[in-house]
Amino acid sequence: MENTLLTAETAEKKRKKAISPLHVVLKTLAVLFLAVLCVLFLFPVWWMVISSFKTEDMIYAQMDSWQTFLPGTWNVADWFVSYQKLFSSFEYFGQSILNSIVYCSVTIAAVLLINSFAGYALARLEFPGSRTLTTVIILLIIVPVETSIVPQYVILSKLGLLSTDLRVVGYLLPGFVSAFYIFMFRQFYLGMPKELEEAAEIDGANKLVTYFAIIMPLAKAIFATVAIFTFMGAWNEYVFAQLMFPNPKNQPLQVFLQLVNTYNPKDLAVVMAALTFSTIPIAIVYIFCQRYIVEGVSFSGLK
Amino acid sequence: MKNNALPVRAKGMYFRFLGRSFKKHDAIVGAVFVLPAFVLGCIFVVAPMLVSLAYSVTDANLLALNNVHFNGFVNFAEAFGDTYLWNAFLNTLEFVVKVVPLQLCASLGLALILNTKIRCNTFFRWAFFCPVMLSLAVTSFLWMNLLNEQEGLINAILENLGFSRQPFLESPKQAMNVIVFISAWQGAGYQMLIFLSGLKNIPPEIYEAAAIDGANPVQKFFFITIPNILPTFSFVLITMLIGAFRLIVQPMVMTGGGPVDSTMTMSYYIYTQGITFRNVGYSSAIALLYTFFMAAIALTLRKLMDVKD
Repeated sequence: MENTLLTAETAEKKRKKAISPLHVVLKTLAVLFLAVLCVLFLFPVWWMVISSFKTEDMIYAQMDSWQTFLPGTWNVADWFVSYQKLFSSFEYFGQSILNSIVYCSVTIAAVLLINSFAGYALARLEFPGSRTLTTVIILLIIVPVETSIVPQYVILSKLGLLSTDLRVVGYLLPGFVSAFYIFMFRQFYLGMPKELEEAAEIDGANKLVTYFAIIMPLAKAIFATVAIFTFMGAWNEYVFAQLMFPNPKNQPLQVFLQLVNTYNPKDLAVVMAALTFSTIPIAIVYIFCQRYIVEGVSFSGLK
Repeated sequence: MKNNALPVRAKGMYFRFLGRSFKKHDAIVGAVFVLPAFVLGCIFVVAPMLVSLAYSVTDANLLALNNVHFNGFVNFAEAFGDTYLWNAFLNTLEFVVKVVPLQLCASLGLALILNTKIRCNTFFRWAFFCPVMLSLAVTSFLWMNLLNEQEGLINAILENLGFSRQPFLESPKQAMNVIVFISAWQGAGYQMLIFLSGLKNIPPEIYEAAAIDGANPVQKFFFITIPNILPTFSFVLITMLIGAFRLIVQPMVMTGGGPVDSTMTMSYYIYTQGITFRNVGYSSAIALLYTFFMAAIALTLRKLMDVKD
């Protein structure tokens, strides 16, 4: 496949006479180099997905041959044996997916509401101390404070949020507020024209109505960006989640993987199925929202 | 909340506070809007820092938090003599020194190549971005299985190519290098995307003007691309550096800090001291020292990078 590509490229280049041979050679080398790197980047992920469609015996039998990178059978109906096994042998796997979805949705909703309000207030509604607060927030972003997990755990225990019933609350609450998101919202609102709000004010709308009816629809882009970043963070959370949920029943997917991976007897195909399964939601988000991710990152990079 | 947002619009509703004047209505609504974030931030962002600061001079134990004694600077003195701590610190430094250049070169190099009109551009971009979609936990579990000495895919490939089987994560010499490689593999695609957007933001007029002035591609690269990508570069470098200093998930999942503490990192050591060994006081003291260390590096870098702009 590479060869046809290259000859096609050379032919095209010949038609355009202005391009030098050196250029063609360089470009060919670059494509070759990228192709090699591409294999290096992709094969583990490819193998993970392909192996999840096999049985464990098949994975081990094919490990020594190139067949390990091809589906074991072309009968698509047989591909999902390991997935069925995953759900049947781990009582709480389905529950852990649900947990992840619930934790993520609640976190996203709360983060958007709480931080956008704060960002708006800091951008538009001056109150005594608002400037100091902004400075503190910028400081919190700039100064890297080392893991607050231990003191956070202590505080949660003092607040009584480590009891079995309230653990979920204790897990979720610290994720609701972020200096970084407040700052992002503030910057966005600062860049928005004031005239619309002033017009709404003259028409007699109160601040809350103005906010929901006029500001929010105009700020869709920043809401989408923050929602996606929050989703990525919440979905991938591991360290704090494994500390908070020793009980499999409440564990989110990322932590539940630990149980699947260490379960005895271990079934490699089932592990791969679990890993693949837990990647699907985040992959969908990345595929459809890449634009927002890039925008968000370059936005935050501008300081 | 709604009570404060009454549509009252009287003239001259201002008040003065510490020499500055505020619109009364705006100030009240603003304060209410900030309140939820302020309360949560105080409890879960600021309070942990203060608690950490306070506990760092005590013998606090996770199981006996009501029985805490001031013990001065014993924790700090102990920290400097703690060989496990120094080991964790050096391991972290090793990780940072290896992973940052590797990942930076990989992501910037890929972005520079993909920014040209090369074939299959979109496909390549997606391919390099693919590992980013795996979470750190998934990445760790996946590679743990791939690198297994007896049953892993990598060793099967190595054997087919005529090499001997390697212990990888079970060898004190190889484990950290493996984590470096895996982390760069997982993360490079993300920074590549950032660099690509930075490169796309360079106005094409500059290149056209340079071409009219007779600049060759090498000159264009050094006098246009490099200076224009510098802000993006410094942003990526600082975030990557801080992220690397905080390495914890990969060793926690794959090696548990071993073998022979060869992958024990600072963040993981602070966590282990505080949670596993329940020495909240000691853990807080090390966390404080480490915060100073990271803040010093981050702020110095910021200063250096800003001067260049």
